[in-house]
Amino acid sequence: MSHGGSDYSHIKGELRGPNSRAGHILRDKVHVPSPSSARRVKTLIVGGGISGLSAARWLKKHGHTDFELLDLEKRVGGNAGFRQNEVSAYPLGAHYIPIPNNEDAELLSFLEDHGIISHYVDALPFYNEFDLCFAPEERLLINGQWQDGLVPEFGIADEDRKQIKSFFELCESLKTEKGTDGKYAFDIPIAKSSKDNAYRKLDDISFKIYLQEKGFTSPYLLWYLDYCCKDDYGQKSNAVSAWAGLNYFAARRGRAANADSSTVLTWPEGNGRLMSHLASTVKNHIRTGEMAYSITEEAGGGFAVHAVDLKTQSSHTIHAEQLIMACPQYVNQKLLSGLQQRAVDYEKFSYAPWLVVNITLKAMPHTKGAGLCWDNVAYNTASVGYVNAGQQSLKTVEDKKVFTYYLPLCDHEPRVSRLAAYARTYEQWLDIILPEMEYMHPNITENIEHVELWVWGHGMICPTPGFISGSDRMNASKPLNGRIFFAHSDLSGISIFEEAFHQGIRAANEILSANSREN
Amino acid sequence: MDKRLPTLLLLSVFVVATCGLIYELIAGTLASYLLGDSVTQFSTIIGVYLFSMGIGSWLSKYFDKNILSWFIQIEILVGLVGGTSSTLLFLLFESIASFRILLYGLVSLTGILVGLEIPLLMRILENRYEFKDLVSRVFTFDYIGALLASLIFPLLLIPYLGIVKTSYLFGILNVLVALIVCANFRKEIRGAKYLQTASIVSIAGLLAGFIYAETITSFSESLSYNDTMIYSKSTPYQRIILTKRGKTLRLFLNGNLQFSSDDEYRYHEALVHPGLSALPEAKQILVMGGGDGLAVREILKYPQVKSVTLVDLDKGMTSLFQNNSMLIKLNQKALLSPKVKVINADAFSWVRSQKEKFDFIVVDFPDPSNYSVGKLYTNSFYKLIKEMLQPDGIIVVQSTSPYVAPNSFWSVNKTLESVGLHTVPYHNYVPSFGEWGYIMAMNKAYYKKPETFVPGLKFISKGSLDQMFYFPKDMSRRETEVNKLNNQVLVKYFEEEWSDVL
Repeated sequence: MSHGGSDYSHIKGELRGPNSRAGHILRDKVHVPSPSSARRVKTLIVGGGISGLSAARWLKKHGHTDFELLDLEKRVGGNAGFRQNEVSAYPLGAHYIPIPNNEDAELLSFLEDHGIISHYVDALPFYNEFDLCFAPEERLLINGQWQDGLVPEFGIADEDRKQIKSFFELCESLKTEKGTDGKYAFDIPIAKSSKDNAYRKLDDISFKIYLQEKGFTSPYLLWYLDYCCKDDYGQKSNAVSAWAGLNYFAARRGRAANADSSTVLTWPEGNGRLMSHLASTVKNHIRTGEMAYSITEEAGGGFAVHAVDLKTQSSHTIHAEQLIMACPQYVNQKLLSGLQQRAVDYEKFSYAPWLVVNITLKAMPHTKGAGLCWDNVAYNTASVGYVNAGQQSLKTVEDKKVFTYYLPLCDHEPRVSRLAAYARTYEQWLDIILPEMEYMHPNITENIEHVELWVWGHGMICPTPGFISGSDRMNASKPLNGRIFFAHSDLSGISIFEEAFHQGIRAANEILSANSREN
Repeated sequence: MDKRLPTLLLLSVFVVATCGLIYELIAGTLASYLLGDSVTQFSTIIGVYLFSMGIGSWLSKYFDKNILSWFIQIEILVGLVGGTSSTLLFLLFESIASFRILLYGLVSLTGILVGLEIPLLMRILENRYEFKDLVSRVFTFDYIGALLASLIFPLLLIPYLGIVKTSYLFGILNVLVALIVCANFRKEIRGAKYLQTASIVSIAGLLAGFIYAETITSFSESLSYNDTMIYSKSTPYQRIILTKRGKTLRLFLNGNLQFSSDDEYRYHEALVHPGLSALPEAKQILVMGGGDGLAVREILKYPQVKSVTLVDLDKGMTSLFQNNSMLIKLNQKALLSPKVKVINADAFSWVRSQKEKFDFIVVDFPDPSNYSVGKLYTNSFYKLIKEMLQPDGIIVVQSTSPYVAPNSFWSVNKTLESVGLHTVPYHNYVPSFGEWGYIMAMNKAYYKKPETFVPGLKFISKGSLDQMFYFPKDMSRRETEVNKLNNQVLVKYFEEEWSDVL
């Protein structure tokens, strides 16, 4: 075991992740006992991530209450999961949302329902001050110094500055461009964006090639754009389409009454806060620890969904008339294998693996330059930096801290990185993570008390070139037999809260109109 | 060998006498710094010391055998006790009641041990000199040593080494005497090896103290050397240092001056009376910060006040100002009044959990020099404070210097206005700080200037009040942003404006 001389013996912690063993029961067709009981519901939502929860909430909001939501994990939430220790709550995945676009009425209404928007001033939302990210927001370790903000500035040449400025000017102009169909060229959710070929063809090339073609050569700018791609898509600019790369910047136009447009909304538990709000609206409909493993059609048009109760290891059947498949497509591929095949090439769905590390520190080592911020990134490192989970704390004095460190596993093709990730031990991960933490903060290792690792084998969908504009995504979203509906961020091609939120609403609306047609 | 013994021992007399007087002077100096009134302190210390020396001399008759060995052991003991005495006195300063016991105890112990030295030395030498020669030589060296001590103490030792290091130095000298005597006469003494080892270990310990003494007094580097650091404590939240210079006490938190006892009344009267004098019915008062109890002292001058709630994060600070006799003299036992309730809690979370309302709220936090304290100057915090204010009540906020940091000052003003409060800014001159600013904030749209004030005020009067409200051009209102949790502009203004000064 190569430790490079460092001693990790004082660090406690464990390696965790989504319940991949349960998931692999499905993949490997492990024998499951025959169902011993049955129940009936009109609509069954399979998957309790943001899409599933959002669909559930929308159904209930519109008077449809005969539904259940299943999730195989002990708690719902998917990528918005969180945990807690004696120092702080901390996210296991997604940790913030930017200020939503002002046309996104459904999302703004959801935020208002739960007090995140307190009121409107001149038609602009006034956000709850405790949910807006506290200053100071971001810093970057570059050329030996921590500078304010993440866009490289300290120690860079004028030519680099010029290119950075020119790139942002390009994005500013793209923010307001609309296609011939009157829709924004770039928008959130992606379904609202223009389908004009002028923009769609940007999806055919990688972001890296696009930047080369546009003459952007500054290594600082290119590093920053790689960082942004890793942040939202889990892959570098060479594996992400130019359309998706530009969407990251040009789709964000939100304005607030009491904050800058670049501000974000965040909580110690990250998007777990939003997930808890969604779940609270449909508490009684949620069943956790239940994994669907087979779906068969019944005479009469309904479905028999066989599910295993992971606590008791027994299985049961749920009879449902309609389904919302709110799980990733590689799960749907297995679950729907007994039914009509879809014209979907599942191989085109590429998922980026991630490692999320929650580090509990007993003290923060002193840094030169900008002090601890919410988001702390170092130039030219493998990770996308770490987030201070305690940023929103109101305490005047805090010694212990929890940092959430995010590492996209993008050095190799996803399948390879994923297998390597599953094979790595806890100590081997520490050998990868701690040297980078030491680089950012010399002598931090002796202050680390606890390190909790989360391996997300299929962390997020990746918008590879041709995926967003391709037909597989479209075909995978289409309802099956008028009775199976689909909602997941991988159908948008971009794994962010807003996309999953709207996916759920879309599927729920499809159910509601199907039901109203029946009546 | 025979000839060396007397010479060496006479030299020991010299060193021992010097050390003895040095310990006496250290004790006297410390006592007069810590307890004030140097005439009384020196007088009593000298008296107790000489008396203890008498006891020591009397005890010498009980030493029969192995006198040389006993002499060495006593030297080691004197070195250890005398050397560590000042450190002990510094560390245990907080509780004055037992401080005097400790002080006189140490003085007595040192005196007893020193008192044993000369008689024992004389008996060791009794057979080597004629009695008349012996007496003459021993006392000559004794008194010359004393002269040396009394000269070098004020001219060299205190200015260049300070009290703590001087103690350790002379402790080391005492033990060195023991070591040298022991080394030279090891054949004549029982247990010479043990004594040698004990000496070396003691010297090592005292040397460590000599070096380590720096950290105790390290903060005094930021003070003029005339200010003697008389107390230091590290609480979980900050480093508290008290210094004294003549009669003036100064309190530093993490190296920042909080008050100077000679002019703090200007700050605290200005903080409290403009607001409280305008509220003749004020009964429930809240003070946030101000763990020194000085604002509370001013508040308690109003007989109609029924309760004062003080919320300060640091229990180490509030308990110091409840127990230390010098400090409770300064704050006139404010924190011990039955009307006062001291709560040690974090301001923001405490305020969020409160339902009570107050007539007068004093917000006396440290300056917004970092993002943590900056949260207590945001519109979110002021919104919560506003909810705790009675409809006719007044809030007053310490707002740093409008002369050095006008953007910071006026940003606090704007932030208070942004939550719907009517503000009345004012300022005065506090010699230790310069021009200092305060802002009253209230629900009412107007502030009625009080005409009469409680008796006993040294600064506030109708005339001085009028002067405080006027802002000359160099401190007048600026355009600034509202300070919020998500922009923390105030900390940025503050850093910019004060970095030119500090």
